[in-house]
Amino acid sequence: MNVPVVAEAEPTAPAVAATEVRVAQVRVAQVRVPEISAAGVPVSEVIADAADGERSIVAFLCRECAYSAADAAGNARTSLPPTIRTIMVPCTGRVSPLHLLAALAEGADGVYVAGCLEGQCHHRVGNFHALDRVAFVRRLLRSVGVEPERAAMFTMSAADTPRFVATARGMDATISQLPRLPRS
Amino acid sequence: MPLSARGRQIAGDLRGATSGVSAGVLGCDVVRHDELCVGCGRCVSACPTGAMRQDDWFDPAQLFSAPAGTGRGALAAALRRIARHEPSGPFRVPDRVRTFRRILFSADLCAGCGACVRACPTGAVEASPVPVGDLEVAARGLAPAGVGT
Repeated sequence: MNVPVVAEAEPTAPAVAATEVRVAQVRVAQVRVPEISAAGVPVSEVIADAADGERSIVAFLCRECAYSAADAAGNARTSLPPTIRTIMVPCTGRVSPLHLLAALAEGADGVYVAGCLEGQCHHRVGNFHALDRVAFVRRLLRSVGVEPERAAMFTMSAADTPRFVATARGMDATISQLPRLPRS
Repeated sequence: MPLSARGRQIAGDLRGATSGVSAGVLGCDVVRHDELCVGCGRCVSACPTGAMRQDDWFDPAQLFSAPAGTGRGALAAALRRIARHEPSGPFRVPDRVRTFRRILFSADLCAGCGACVRACPTGAVEASPVPVGDLEVAARGLAPAGVGT
């Protein structure tokens, strides 16, 4: 797998210490307080390698579509913005508002969800749910004075590598123009 | 608690019910704890009288009162870290987000049956027994006609 900075995700881990997460423990229905992690590493560490002053963007990629597109981009040695950190999810319908907000609170400057085209979700409606959850998060952000552009949702087919690259670069351009987030 | 017209109609449908019975006719006063509510609407589907209603709006200020250790509390903690100011007024919730909604409770439609209490996954609805004096009134109201006095 040659995707730059792509870590396989394990976002459905139960609420245990992230270092103890094993794939066998995943029970999606029983998640209480989801901990975002990529390959068992909390998202704060996923984005910790960002240099001082450098932005970081966390992308939640659907395993069926966007991740394949990202993988193909990596295989083609396409250069992606260094700010992008990707986390694979089984379906974008798994991404909850808490995942997005926790990523922002842990140090990401932007988050986006990339899933299947409308009507082509492998789990039928997961991307529609994700679309509305992202819209919800954007309204939540606006209500506390944070730019809603920091959360976004894109759809693409598994073969649409150019669109994946374009959305990643577009998101990078959007976030780089925003001020840093205040973190208390 | 005075009954509304709809509440009187429902109370009137109960066997042996008489007018003048308070809303605690079936045994309890319903108290909602907003800080625990996640707005899922299960109380709404459980409610037989339509006293609970779920609307399309969400007030982010409600998040911030959620206790730590819950999913809501975690969400509030994350939001508080990046917030630039106190949350401003309620906003409309997208269609497919079925939680995160305000629950409106009309006490005068409530028949006090406690179905919402059993349906609530977070313990946000609490039933408190009505005072003994009211219970006697309720018992008289509920007794089948002609039985007991």
